[in-house]
Amino acid sequence: MKSYINNYELLCDAGDTKSLMEAIYAKKSAITVSEDYIKDQKAGLGIMQYDNIYDSLKDVTGKVLKQSNLENFHDTLLILGSSVGGMQECEEIFYAEKSYKNLDPNRYSMNALTDYMEKEFGFYDSRAISTACTSSANAFLLAKRLIEVDAYENILVVGADGLCKSTVMGFYALGVLSDRACTPFDKNRNGMNVSEAVSVILVQNSKNNQSIEIKGVGASSDAYHMTNTDPEAGGAISSMENAINDARLELDKIDYINAHGTATIANDRVESLAIEKLFGKSVCVSSTKAITGHTLGAAGAVEAIISCEVIKHSLIPPQTGLKELENQNIKVPTQSIEMKIKNVLSNSFAFGGNNTSILLGVCK
Amino acid sequence: MRKVALKISNAAKIFTETKIENLEEKRLVPNMMMRRRLTRNAKVMLYLSDKCSFKSGKIVYGSCFSELEETAKIANAVLEGGLLSPTSFQNSVYNTAPSYFSLINRDKDEIITISSGMKTSRETIKTAALQALVSGEKVLCVCVECINIKNIEEINKCAKYLEAGAAFVLETTEDFSGAKEIEDKREKGMMDSLKEIMSVVDMFEQADDKILVEL
Repeated sequence: MKSYINNYELLCDAGDTKSLMEAIYAKKSAITVSEDYIKDQKAGLGIMQYDNIYDSLKDVTGKVLKQSNLENFHDTLLILGSSVGGMQECEEIFYAEKSYKNLDPNRYSMNALTDYMEKEFGFYDSRAISTACTSSANAFLLAKRLIEVDAYENILVVGADGLCKSTVMGFYALGVLSDRACTPFDKNRNGMNVSEAVSVILVQNSKNNQSIEIKGVGASSDAYHMTNTDPEAGGAISSMENAINDARLELDKIDYINAHGTATIANDRVESLAIEKLFGKSVCVSSTKAITGHTLGAAGAVEAIISCEVIKHSLIPPQTGLKELENQNIKVPTQSIEMKIKNVLSNSFAFGGNNTSILLGVCK
Repeated sequence: MRKVALKISNAAKIFTETKIENLEEKRLVPNMMMRRRLTRNAKVMLYLSDKCSFKSGKIVYGSCFSELEETAKIANAVLEGGLLSPTSFQNSVYNTAPSYFSLINRDKDEIITISSGMKTSRETIKTAALQALVSGEKVLCVCVECINIKNIEEINKCAKYLEAGAAFVLETTEDFSGAKEIEDKREKGMMDSLKEIMSVVDMFEQADDKILVEL
């Protein structure tokens, strides 16, 4: 059984899907430079316009349901990927009260979001995945496999993460946070932007005339270091190869790679090397994190929507912020390229050496 | 909705009211620098995987609260206006424990981490069943909760065992004969997030080595 992306919507720093794609093609970063999170330090952050993560989930999910061929989600499995879950609300209470007393344990973890979604929409069942920055990419991996074995007809994949003080300060402690809009793959890049997003995608076992097929999924572990990527790029190569093999495609059938491309020194160097080893200059690569920042656990789902839009627009996104390409052996366009796009590979890599790649393409 | 039958080849569990004393860290992780970085969840997971004789392959790990101790350290550092420890931050993600397993055992296979509140172990077992069905391989299913942090009594009203975990190695089988639904056999005072996996280990110990799981 094949799996198809039939409906989707998101909210990120650039707004909804339509606004985000306009920003990507206009090379207009939505990153805000903020001094609110780290004392005496500027941080480039991707900040959504919203009241709270729960209302955003309800709003974006409602839009997807309305677009879809479903009356409700009663026969749908919810798979949500998040790296902080309900932490945003809990840390605010803790910082204000300096105590755990008024924290609700059920509003702390990933299930805070799935419990809310189940209550609002009445899903058949729900599952929350938290593998840091590959969380919602792994939600896709499971969704494709569950449909493949005929376990479900409808699966709602959600990626959701809100900005938390502890996350922003954590990346700052690691020395990888940029004080401006990030510049993936640039020789003079100085780090990443922490961001937030809600991304909702309906995956089904039947297609319509707007469907994008999930052709392949692949995952791997670096088994190298908790935060540093394998300098030989073995894990990144394996996840991409696994996705391509799962799709039973040849390498030359890939038209575009939406890279993980966080703009940290380590990630971009290793991901470039992986792409160079596998594809050389035969495929266009760019990272849309220059617009959205790194939406952490939501990134896989955000970039899956971007990949679907790229296929539908027949337009390769340019690399925003790129002045001097560090690795000259890969092809990173600085202007949009109009071409027929059949297959897109989207990469997500995470702490712990957790790698996931998703291959999306036009339906046959 | 599809059900599969799982054959269990190994299983283990461990739990205590406060802190598990002997997790055999020195034998399991001879490298001192690596050993010093391990979180409580990672130590319990390494212990359980060793008891299940699992060295490499696909892992599905579940934890509702995951690295609570590291998260508390970060929250307190933010509160006190101090610098955060990079090690605590990198150790605070929910896939920390299986990632240490991967590092120590040079296991480059897939890792999925589930955190579904009080139904965490149920969803972890379902996901492990899917991974086994799709790959045709043996999969390690493991769930751990370590919530023994300072002032936990301010929020913990029901869990008696503050450190607990269970694991089993499974594969799918076409032979459904004798396969049983998971029975609730867990110890009173065990966190609900560990309910199903503790019950599976208990069933295995009582010679029920085949279970039915809806994907």
